[in-house]
Amino acid sequence: MEKLLLRNIGIADSHTLAVYQSRGGYQSWEKVVRDMKPAELIDEVKASGLRGRGGAGFPTGMKWSFVPKDSPKPKYLVCNADESEPGTFKDRLLIEQDPHAIIEGTLIAAYGIQSHTAFIYIRGELVAGAKILERAVEEAARAGFIGKNIFGSGFDLDVILHRGAGAYICGEETALLSSLEGGRGWPKVKPPFPATHGLFGCPTVVNNVETLAALPWIIERGAAAYAAMGTEKSKGTKLFSVSGHISRPGVYEVEMGYPFKKFLEDDCGGVPNGRKLKGVIPGGGSMPVLRPEEIEKVNLDYESVQAAGSMLGSGGVIVMDETTCMVRAASNIARFYAHESCGQCSPCREGCHWMEKIFHRIEHGEGQAGDLDLVLNISGNIMGNTICPFGDAAAMPAAAFIKKYRAEFEAHIAEKRCTVRTE
Amino acid sequence: MDPVKIIIDGKEVTTTKGKTVIQAAADAGVAIPHYCYHPKLSIAGNCRMCLVEIEKMPKLQIACNTQVAEGMGVLTQSPKVLAVRKAVLEFLLINHPVDCPICDQAGECQLQNYYMEHNREASRFEVGKQHDRKKTIFGPNVIFDGERCIKCTRCVRFCQEITKTDELAVINRGDHSTIALFNDSVLDNPLSANVVDICPVGALTDRDFRFKVRVWYLQKTPSVCPGCSTGCNISVETYQNRIARFKPRINEAVNSHWICDEGRYCFHELTGGERLTTPLIRQEGGLVPTTWENALHAVLAGLRSAKAAAGVLSGRNTNEEAFLFAKLMKKLAPGSPLEVCYQERELNETQKILMSPDRAPNFRGARDMGVGANGGYGSWLEKLLAGDFSAAYIVGEDLLGSNGAGERLRAALQKLSFLVVQDIRLSETAKLAHVVLPATHFGEKEGTYTNRKGRLQKLNAAVIAPEGALQDWQIFLRLLDLAEEKLSYSTPSQIFQALAEEVALYQGISYATIGDQGIQLGGGGVEQS
Repeated sequence: MEKLLLRNIGIADSHTLAVYQSRGGYQSWEKVVRDMKPAELIDEVKASGLRGRGGAGFPTGMKWSFVPKDSPKPKYLVCNADESEPGTFKDRLLIEQDPHAIIEGTLIAAYGIQSHTAFIYIRGELVAGAKILERAVEEAARAGFIGKNIFGSGFDLDVILHRGAGAYICGEETALLSSLEGGRGWPKVKPPFPATHGLFGCPTVVNNVETLAALPWIIERGAAAYAAMGTEKSKGTKLFSVSGHISRPGVYEVEMGYPFKKFLEDDCGGVPNGRKLKGVIPGGGSMPVLRPEEIEKVNLDYESVQAAGSMLGSGGVIVMDETTCMVRAASNIARFYAHESCGQCSPCREGCHWMEKIFHRIEHGEGQAGDLDLVLNISGNIMGNTICPFGDAAAMPAAAFIKKYRAEFEAHIAEKRCTVRTE
Repeated sequence: MDPVKIIIDGKEVTTTKGKTVIQAAADAGVAIPHYCYHPKLSIAGNCRMCLVEIEKMPKLQIACNTQVAEGMGVLTQSPKVLAVRKAVLEFLLINHPVDCPICDQAGECQLQNYYMEHNREASRFEVGKQHDRKKTIFGPNVIFDGERCIKCTRCVRFCQEITKTDELAVINRGDHSTIALFNDSVLDNPLSANVVDICPVGALTDRDFRFKVRVWYLQKTPSVCPGCSTGCNISVETYQNRIARFKPRINEAVNSHWICDEGRYCFHELTGGERLTTPLIRQEGGLVPTTWENALHAVLAGLRSAKAAAGVLSGRNTNEEAFLFAKLMKKLAPGSPLEVCYQERELNETQKILMSPDRAPNFRGARDMGVGANGGYGSWLEKLLAGDFSAAYIVGEDLLGSNGAGERLRAALQKLSFLVVQDIRLSETAKLAHVVLPATHFGEKEGTYTNRKGRLQKLNAAVIAPEGALQDWQIFLRLLDLAEEKLSYSTPSQIFQALAEEVALYQGISYATIGDQGIQLGGGGVEQS
């Protein structure tokens, strides 16, 4: 398969403008600015079928089209480079090795919504990535791809890099905007939505790094070429970050609809050391874990993974072999969400910590009869009742671990110790 | 305003476009439980208590942030809604200390109320409640208990949006989130104690009221704040015939939901100290107790024989009292200059949100009654200091205590051939009087005040005056009676009816229709200073 997103990865000095341009970089941008009307661009992106790669999978072109065209307010395009979903490291690779693809995508998207100021909000911990991006922005500006009267078109666009301060929640688009505004990283109550009331109350689109990085290719080869890849509803290719008990961990680019099992076994080399697969999280820590038998017929596209009871999410594939204590895994994930809950709304603030406490006590041999149903009940009370999707992200994996490995949890409670771990 | 029809729990309700479900429901008498929502603050949507079912929407929606739409079906009592209320309450209570027995909010706490209404189950949370600060002083009037806080952020939003002083902020994350003073600020803005009123739980309590009375023992009387001429609507809350606190009463024409701190605590100054319970008369060696009959006869004689008498009324006297006072002085000392005590001070922008520059809640009403048409209190005082008067009748105001003129004023008052002071305490001014008449304060009175903007509002007696003291209007009536002007009024209501016939601006108003929200005189809001 031809690589779209990873086409420059592995090439020496791929992060520099010279190398990026030598491979056709910024030609899409020039084409967009010189030859395309914003409406044409939006139609092209709609036709490509590109969907948001941050996790929600919302159609990108449609998201842009929600921005009011007649608003007197400034419009903003924000590149969400706050990658922090557990088990996800695909954006980081692009940031560090192909920053110009992200910048070019950001410029194209900004043009689509007629934004003259674009922000790249990068996760605070990505110190090296921030430096690389900053340099790349400077290079692109010096080359005239960013700034005033780009390509003599009269179109002005500024790009501002902003570093986060280390909160997972700031990857949620409205929390990101609050943080970018200088406030607490709190998700905003919706409606209104960012498309009309986003950054500083102005129309705003927030797109993920991977989404934006796909745009130059789509413009270069055309929407049809992109839409020719993938399935009926999941078009193009997607990056997967594979980690855990797997022979060849790393970032993979896969055409949507690729068989999951084949991917794990052939592409990633399967579970090492002759051990058996016990479970796999397909889309980052927020998504329900799947048992080996559940992935038999699953393909790597939004619909297929959802049909199996989980979600494609960010494409953070976490593989667990038979030596994994699922109680400990669940406890670890619960601890993460308890720690990262922003504390704004009641169910998430209180519920995440409550679940974490229960998982912790089960893990440490202090579980009680009824604990499992209690967690299921708490997760049910959080699900769907919070300001932002974080509540669901904490509740879904908690419930899935218990439902799918209940016997192991019960044994942990009954014997007051781990019955699995062999390491 | 476009009308919109929605269906709440199967009942059709007509509301207007732009309203939220929680507002439309409240208008229709359907109370949707909530913590963070407050009609005067921005929508936070964080408590999740107001989640309701909206037909055709897969997820429950917060009623505070859902706009009504034509034909929208809202369910506030469906099994899903009742279950989520129970769940939210359980969440809010898992780290709550449930220290109701020592919490001032107990009895008016929305955690208690909603728990009894919607949950009533034992907590399934067993160990390790999150601890927090129990008594952090936020400012001179407000103290914070972090363990009781449900992080609704009403207090934070109040300081951001109403006073714009930004003293409070949320700090930390997750279940360590808590409210704190922002940097080195102190919660000492002029409206600071309103955060106690809007705190739905016992997290913010009033340092003045704290630990004094269990709220269920309080008797509540609707009245008007005596602090200044804004005339904020208040509830005077009493226990064992003492005022325990003021709370604001909602009146969108006057004070919305708020009162200022100065007004909130002014009752201490206005009601404290040792009360006079018997008239006093000056004899050789000083003031000695006497009977009302002796005292009133002495007043009559003193004022009648004065060459140049003058009268000053407190800005806290009611319209009814001012009406009688004007009549009385006209009878006893015709042409004597009458004034209502009125002094202004500078106010800053935050103070101006509610406060008026004076401390005279009824100065405008008193002037309407004919007390004060002589060039103002300032020039009246100048004349007094200049020795233009030989006798004075001072009602309800300690001129020596409240005026910078000090020794000059004392000398002027001492020079008077006759001074009668009518007050609740033996004030510095009263100590110079020839006759002292024990009277009542605002909290013991019924009557009407007219605020700065010409709104007529009702004052109600919240406590009973001590035996021996008389209402100011009773004193004026008895003096009028002795002066052979027989007026058969026996209640403030009857006096009001009489003044409504005589004073043009008040014509046609009946005492009974003033109600708890008052009436704008002349139909408009005319500014007067």
